[in-house]
Amino acid sequence: MTPKPLLQTLTLLLALHPINLIAQQSPSPGTAHSDQALVVRGAKVYPISGPPIENGVVVVRAGKIEAVGAAASVAIPADAQVIEASGEVLMPGIVDSHSHIGIIGNPPIPANVDANEGSGPLEPQLRAIDAINPAAPGIRIATAGGITTANIMPGSGNVIGGQTAYVKLRGKTIEDMIIPGTIGGLKMANGENPKHYGRRDQAPMTRMEVAALARREYTKAQEYKRKWDDYNKAVAAGSKDAKPPERDLAMEPLVQVLEGKRIVQHHTHRADDIMTVLRIADEFHYRVVIHHGSEAHLVADELARRHIPVTLTIVDSPGGKLEAINVNEHTAAILEKAGVKVAINTDDDINSSRFIIREAALAVRGGMSEEGALRALTINPAEMLDLGNRVGTLEKGKDADFILLSGPPFSVYTKVLETWIEGEKVFDRSNPADLHYATGGYDVANQYPKFNAAAAGGAQ
Amino acid sequence: MNARSLGHSLSALALLICSQLAFAQKFAIVADKLYTMASGPQGQAGVVLLDGGKIAAIHPGNSAPAGYTVMHAVYVTPGLIDAKTTAGISGAYNIPADQDEDEQTDPNTADVRALDSFNPREMLLQYINTYGITTVQAAPGITNPIAGQAGIFKTVGPKTVGPTVDELALKPVSAIVFNLGESPKAFYGGKNKAPTTRMMTAAIIREGLLAAQAYQKKWTEWNAGEKKDPAKQPARDLKLEAIGLALRGDVPAIFNAYRADDIDTAIRLAQEFKLKLILSSVTEGYLEAALIQQSGAAALVGPTLQRLESLETINASLENAGILAQAGIPVALMTGFEGYVPKNRVLLFEAGVAAANGLGFEGALRAATIAAAKILGIADRVGSLEPGKDADVVLYDGDPFEYTSHVTAVLVNGKLSYQRE
Repeated sequence: MTPKPLLQTLTLLLALHPINLIAQQSPSPGTAHSDQALVVRGAKVYPISGPPIENGVVVVRAGKIEAVGAAASVAIPADAQVIEASGEVLMPGIVDSHSHIGIIGNPPIPANVDANEGSGPLEPQLRAIDAINPAAPGIRIATAGGITTANIMPGSGNVIGGQTAYVKLRGKTIEDMIIPGTIGGLKMANGENPKHYGRRDQAPMTRMEVAALARREYTKAQEYKRKWDDYNKAVAAGSKDAKPPERDLAMEPLVQVLEGKRIVQHHTHRADDIMTVLRIADEFHYRVVIHHGSEAHLVADELARRHIPVTLTIVDSPGGKLEAINVNEHTAAILEKAGVKVAINTDDDINSSRFIIREAALAVRGGMSEEGALRALTINPAEMLDLGNRVGTLEKGKDADFILLSGPPFSVYTKVLETWIEGEKVFDRSNPADLHYATGGYDVANQYPKFNAAAAGGAQ
Repeated sequence: MNARSLGHSLSALALLICSQLAFAQKFAIVADKLYTMASGPQGQAGVVLLDGGKIAAIHPGNSAPAGYTVMHAVYVTPGLIDAKTTAGISGAYNIPADQDEDEQTDPNTADVRALDSFNPREMLLQYINTYGITTVQAAPGITNPIAGQAGIFKTVGPKTVGPTVDELALKPVSAIVFNLGESPKAFYGGKNKAPTTRMMTAAIIREGLLAAQAYQKKWTEWNAGEKKDPAKQPARDLKLEAIGLALRGDVPAIFNAYRADDIDTAIRLAQEFKLKLILSSVTEGYLEAALIQQSGAAALVGPTLQRLESLETINASLENAGILAQAGIPVALMTGFEGYVPKNRVLLFEAGVAAANGLGFEGALRAATIAAAKILGIADRVGSLEPGKDADVVLYDGDPFEYTSHVTAVLVNGKLSYQRE
């Protein structure tokens, strides 16, 4: 490795130091002013909504996509700031439909971990937004992996874990991050994890009770909804003495689920547990996405018939827990073939957000089409979060969330070069302060002066 | 096809399978790109002839002689070596019934041997075999400061039938394993037992080494004595005998360390007792590359894809193996221990990530084959494709490190252990 000149060393230190935050916020090359057009041209563009475009052009203005097409067919606005990207690949920002970044911090020691409220198995009133730390390094690690949108969720330790948050990976506060107009999903879990209460002689200790708890809670929610519906009807009919029912913070999100406004994002692995999820969803007529689905390939026809989408967490090997013993690289391919809508998620910190494209590549290894694997990173998860109208493809009017890659998306040698959210660059591999969120070692520069030499090696 | 000819086909197939299962056939492996990892050009067209479980010959070109079962592949490499793992002693189910890697009852368990936990039928062994890993060093877990004896074993694949652990062992005892850092003090500290600090972890190791020196001296004196009074013969102590293997340099001492200062501690202790040092995990090694290089230690790096779940692993870098190799340190790759999902890392994937992050294609392949074999002292048997070495060969349909390539066949000791359907 060649030691870098002192100036670059100092730049690295400054870039990692909090004092530089102010400097980072001022406009810099590669960040368009809100009214100025930004053009990225020359890359192979995967719009996802259509076939790949060689030598493509993407025009961005005010955080939205203004045009996408072949160089010959898209006019470059006169005022545009132009980024040349020939030899690179441009695709939509990745949507991670199952993440714990910011709610499980870095490192995930108890002080940093707020994913599982261990005091009871039914916690619909909990909100992920009250525990997500926007300063957590995991959020920047995710942008280094090409992720721009995430569903950040409570953990799987409870039957009902709480309300999830649909966020963009930018901003200093959770309010900056939340996608306007979204209320998130509802995290539920069955199988092994919620049974941990059994070890304390508390319910649930069996799968039967896990299901019973969910059914009891939704039955209560139906009753709560009926009271409010009656009250609202009475008010609408002009009643003056109708008294509003008492508000119940736990029931409100469940009513949103019953009304189809909030999707149940359901952790489940084993085939019979997946069928339990479907049985209860059928009973209460709610919308559900299957998460992990380690044995989803065994019930692919059931999922296809009911149009239930599945978001898979693709890990290196089977096991670690009994319900993950049938993990294999073919599940995504089998689901795709059966006609099931498939997404691929990180479940960060199970998989590092840096490697979400790698997960999709492993699905291709297992027989999934490359086109399907790209959709599984973009539009499919977007639709599983009701965000398909905003993100997931490169189409006029959608959010300007995109990434630049150094080569074919599924090659081990390809790197995420840049990540953009609504026209703002949030990750740039050529910046040493960003690089180490991709390669690792982001925390070292402040601890070890020696790291500068290593950083110089890595920046090549 | 009528029922009768189907029956014939099936029995012919069964015969073929049985023959492949039971006997080391004569195979001719025809490669578009042959990586022998021996001296000479790499990545050329070539043919590897396997006979009697050994590599019989290697020819350039693509023509196979008569009498051999011919298999073709785009890429061919030696069987991959996972330089330190718990595969085989820590099962996939992750329940007490199949976890035999960490004897968490005593900070010094020098007398335990991975050999006595190794389960040839463990599904994770079969799983990694399908990704081309044919040799593993299975090592006791990360809790005990003096953890015990590692062993080096061949893997078994889905098509392998019946070898015992003793048949699989290349080296029944390959190293004495020592652990530094968070794990020993976290576990024993949680029980208000020693060690609760890194200081005590080092002290326990030094006490163990010192006691083994004294033990060795007693036996040397006894053996040198002219009149051997049976009443005065020293009592055997299996722990001290095991540590003695490392003290005498019969086997290397593997020190597992993550944080830079723990790596320093490993070097300090190894120099005090003149141990043949191999560092494992070496997570912050890239911060101490010069120091490691000067110490003469080899590095078993990994897992590259590890979760950054503790203070001592938070600084893991994908570029670690590349930086260490560039500093002149002998580098092999390892998967170590995973306590949850996924239960095991895959060395092929680890090597791919290292290849793409500074180690380069040939550097990563070397670390996964011949460099590992040399560090572990098994290069006379495995690690490269050369006449006389074990017929451990992996076939691929593309660049081995590309996620979208496939391992199409694996042979161990000349027998087909895996073939892609």
